[in-house]
Amino acid sequence: MNVLENKVMMEIRGLNKEFTQNDEKLQALQNVDLDVVEGEFLCLVGPSGCGKTTFLRIVQGLIEKTSGSIELYGQPITQRSSADRGFVFQQDNLYPWRTVIANTRLGLELAGMDTNEADAKAMEMLKLVGLEGFEKSYPRELSGGMRQRVNLARALTIDPKVLLMDEPFAALDAITREAMQTELLRIWREAGKTVMFVTHQIDEAVYLANRVVVMAPRPGRIEKIVTITETTVRSEDVKRSPEFHQAVDEIRDIIESHEREDIMT
Amino acid sequence: MSDAVKSTVEEADGGEEGRTGFFGRNESPKNRKRRRLITSLVVIFVGWELFGRYGIENRLFFAPISEIFLSGVDAWASGELQGHISASFQELLYGMLLATGIGIAFGVLIAVNQSVREHCDPIVSALYATPTVAIAPILITAFGLGITSKVAVVFLIAVFPIVINTTVGIRQTQESFIETAYSFNATRWQVITKVLVPSSIPFVIAGIRLGVGRGIVGVVVGELFGADRGLGIFIFEAGQTFDAAPQFLGILILCFAGMTLTGLLQWTEKKMAPWHHFSLDKE
Repeated sequence: MNVLENKVMMEIRGLNKEFTQNDEKLQALQNVDLDVVEGEFLCLVGPSGCGKTTFLRIVQGLIEKTSGSIELYGQPITQRSSADRGFVFQQDNLYPWRTVIANTRLGLELAGMDTNEADAKAMEMLKLVGLEGFEKSYPRELSGGMRQRVNLARALTIDPKVLLMDEPFAALDAITREAMQTELLRIWREAGKTVMFVTHQIDEAVYLANRVVVMAPRPGRIEKIVTITETTVRSEDVKRSPEFHQAVDEIRDIIESHEREDIMT
Repeated sequence: MSDAVKSTVEEADGGEEGRTGFFGRNESPKNRKRRRLITSLVVIFVGWELFGRYGIENRLFFAPISEIFLSGVDAWASGELQGHISASFQELLYGMLLATGIGIAFGVLIAVNQSVREHCDPIVSALYATPTVAIAPILITAFGLGITSKVAVVFLIAVFPIVINTTVGIRQTQESFIETAYSFNATRWQVITKVLVPSSIPFVIAGIRLGVGRGIVGVVVGELFGADRGLGIFIFEAGQTFDAAPQFLGILILCFAGMTLTGLLQWTEKKMAPWHHFSLDKE
């Protein structure tokens, strides 16, 4: 079954974000319209300054929009009412004074859940991300890839409707990143979450996504939405297929056409 | 050298756990630390003894360590020393407990509340630099010769480094840690208790260590201005009779107390902040 035939869970209409910097107005996002479908893996790609991270932060409620509307299942998203959204940061941001399990239960603890109950749920998520047996370790004892797994488990523990991921693998080495991509696809399928994933790596986006939202800078806007046809179980082999490279090239062409314009002007 | 012997030596040299010590044996880092401390103490005490016997022979200024020890045995036997130690210890303990509790609370408040910070921060800095011991006579007059006045002196002198360190510790918290808590819908109070305070623990403990050092000075100075019991008084009275040995005894006890408390705080930091590691340490 094609996941893109599911119903729309999030409707974004006419989203604008302006920053003021040294008395100069900067249009970070201009008139963004987007429908997010339940259960899909949606990637946002684009060069630096296209507003993809700003977009994700607005959806989470970490920063305020200037105008426009975001509705999640018909309910407008207000700032910081974030129990239905889980955010995975680029830096893992694990608290060094907390063990792995205490870090993982953070969201539930902040929501006022009893520690034992929260630990049980956190443990489930640690199992899902493959970190059983490390719950009593401290973050400094873990590798970069393992820390990102905890980061992911922490966001999943609050059982969000949508998972927002901001270049979570950017700081990892190439080999770990590939392994984490495959792991993420497995976790996405098992947890059945909707994912919005920001990256600046086109091949990462094509490998992970059902749809790739290509963004352009100055002002930040959606340029094109590319649907990736391979929607069933993905394996590393997909990366060798001509369809994969075709999709990567298509997106690269869109992005590069803008960079040429930028250089000309 | 036979091959067998050579390989043993190499192994001992390259071993991760311990190195070949001076006496040619393998020792753990803990034992090495202890051995080095004992070596230092032995050198100091032997030097002290020799200097007291053959350097400065005038007993008005100096006493060999053996005589200091004997004067301690005497003072202990008469029951006098215990009373002084207990009085000074109580003054330090209650003063430090007050300074720690109020210092942390006030430090957090200054760090998180802009209005409080702008009102109080310059004043705290000014008071930190003020020689607060100078107001000890006023506190003695106000609270009398008992331990209350000395507790007040210790509190006043020790509270400022704790306030300042707590404030600095909280304000150096990584911004992204706070953002993470907000992404989970944390309230402001939760950010303070779950993020800011734990992240500042190493700074707070360093502040308490600074406070203890100053607090010990506060105990002695406070007692010199007026007290019926305490190590400060013990030293002062020995000075009145030109007896150097008990004076040094009092000083050594205070020195030992400072070392013990510092050690205790270091241990507390290791327990409460095991994540806080200094990579230049070998251990």
